Amino acid sequence: MSQFALEVKALTKTIGKKTIVDDVSFQVERGEIFGLLGPNGAGKTTIIRMIVSLINRTGGTVLINGHDLDDSFTEAMNELGAIVENPEFYKYLSGYKNLKHYARMALSDISEERINEVTELVGLENAINDKVRTYSLGMRQRLGVAQAILHKPSILILDEPTNGLDPQGIREFRDYLRLLASQGTSVLVSSHLLSEMQLMCDRFAIIEKGKLIHISSMHDNETSEARKVKTIEVELSNPTLASKLLTEHMTDVKVTSSKGTRLTLSVRKEQIPMINKLFVENDIDVFEILNVKATLEDRFLEITNKDKKEQMV
Amino acid sequence: MIPLIQNELMKIFGKMASWIYMIVIVLAVLIAGIIYSKFSADPNPNWKQDTQNEITMLENQMASASGDEKKMIQNQIEQTQQFLDQDINPNAKTNWHFMNDVVVGVSSLVTLFVVVVGSANVAAEFSDGTIKQLLIRPHQRWRILLSKYIAVIIYALLLVLTLIVSGYIIGLLLFGSGDFNMKMFEITLEGRKVAIVGTQFLLKMVYFIPSLLIIMTIAFMLSTLFKSQALAVGIGIFVLFFSSTLGGIILMLADKYTWAKLLIFPHLDLTVYALQDRILEDITLPVSLSILAVYYAIFMMLTFFFFQKRDISI
Repeated sequence: MSQFALEVKALTKTIGKKTIVDDVSFQVERGEIFGLLGPNGAGKTTIIRMIVSLINRTGGTVLINGHDLDDSFTEAMNELGAIVENPEFYKYLSGYKNLKHYARMALSDISEERINEVTELVGLENAINDKVRTYSLGMRQRLGVAQAILHKPSILILDEPTNGLDPQGIREFRDYLRLLASQGTSVLVSSHLLSEMQLMCDRFAIIEKGKLIHISSMHDNETSEARKVKTIEVELSNPTLASKLLTEHMTDVKVTSSKGTRLTLSVRKEQIPMINKLFVENDIDVFEILNVKATLEDRFLEITNKDKKEQMV
Repeated sequence: MIPLIQNELMKIFGKMASWIYMIVIVLAVLIAGIIYSKFSADPNPNWKQDTQNEITMLENQMASASGDEKKMIQNQIEQTQQFLDQDINPNAKTNWHFMNDVVVGVSSLVTLFVVVVGSANVAAEFSDGTIKQLLIRPHQRWRILLSKYIAVIIYALLLVLTLIVSGYIIGLLLFGSGDFNMKMFEITLEGRKVAIVGTQFLLKMVYFIPSLLIIMTIAFMLSTLFKSQALAVGIGIFVLFFSSTLGGIILMLADKYTWAKLLIFPHLDLTVYALQDRILEDITLPVSLSILAVYYAIFMMLTFFFFQKRDISI
């Protein structure tokens, strides 16, 4: 057993002279939900399709649970379950027959019990003998999960899985992923919906113009930021005076914006009580101090914008 | 490999259309049988006497005729005499005659349906998007494609079997059991030829199989290369219905251009060889078979090579 469920090294795809994916490397650990994040057309889908071998690689290697896709294709593919974009099924067959179809394609024998177990896990036991034609999109998505996990893969790969799902469906879907991850299945998921990824992933990579420009974990976002400079919003009675006091007394606090009675400040955590004290001592009424959590979206835009600015310089 | 073929058969037979095609073939044979029994003359038990009378009548006519007319009547007498010499009832109608004359004709319907099913088999995976889920399995692509190809062949053979069995049963019901070894005349380009009716039927079915296989392979190839069922079915039907016409035209050109003999069309309908030994001076069954084999190998290589290499980006 290898340390990583998925290891991607120097993945490259060129079509003609155009480089669509440029030297992308990352690893997905066991039981981890890893996100590929990027605007549409950034190359996420191409990366995923190269990993699941729907698209030929121009360069680079892919190891799935330690099996090299080039040297031991069938072993590697047997460790992988995937839904590529919308899960498509044979609509004229029942859900059960569709699962049976994919069960027959696995290297190991998949018992009737396993099919029933998976059906129950995704909550389709009442509809499994109906033709897929009659399924709603949410049900198809659940059947998609069922076919992907049928053979107990080490890694589950999902390309834009929540496309077209309603909020209820998205929530259910997220719960399945959490459940699977807690059972040791790793998940690689791509999306351009940033808020969605924030709720889903343990770590994420940002892809832009075919390049991997940033990898970080959601926990970095929360824990290390306590020590870093953070953003707070303060509502008070005299914002003009407050700004003046801050520039005079606390030079390393930045007022990033002011709107009406609200100020947005960049501070370190230990400075917050000092600021509060300063305001109170100068007869400024403080109504509210809000911690403005940096969302993934902000970070995403921050990172991609910084990249753009650098390019412009 | 067997589970993969099982899957493909499940998909073919999961579609209502595949069953309807079978029923249509049985119906076509039934309708053809009814028409055949209604519109062709009933066998005459006194045919020997009648044929003899006809000859006598022709001989009387010849006595009063002159020149060219005489020659024509003489010719007619000789032909009629052949029925008596060979002991062949000119309007015999048994289930084997039905099989040889009519059921063989329905075989183009088999080719048509095999073309439709064969093209849908690959093209529908692309148009429905299921190809993405199919190719991310622990099987090399060529194995998956081969399993599809084999499943289509199995379906094709099943249709051929449907044709033969329904032809036999319907023939038996409408015309009664005939003698398999009964002699008959086949009209060929080289004139009339004495043949055994049952053998003749079986020979035509055997010669039908390679043509069926080739046309099916063309449709399969086109649907794999162009991912379009419409294109594959269209060209498949074109080849099916125009190959004999095109073949004829090409054979006329063959006198002038030797290479025209190497085109696929004159060789597609091998059932001609049940009637005659050669379609041109130097083109016999083994020559046609070898030419078809070369085309077959090229079609298969193209199909599998491009399927193995293709980027799936739908």
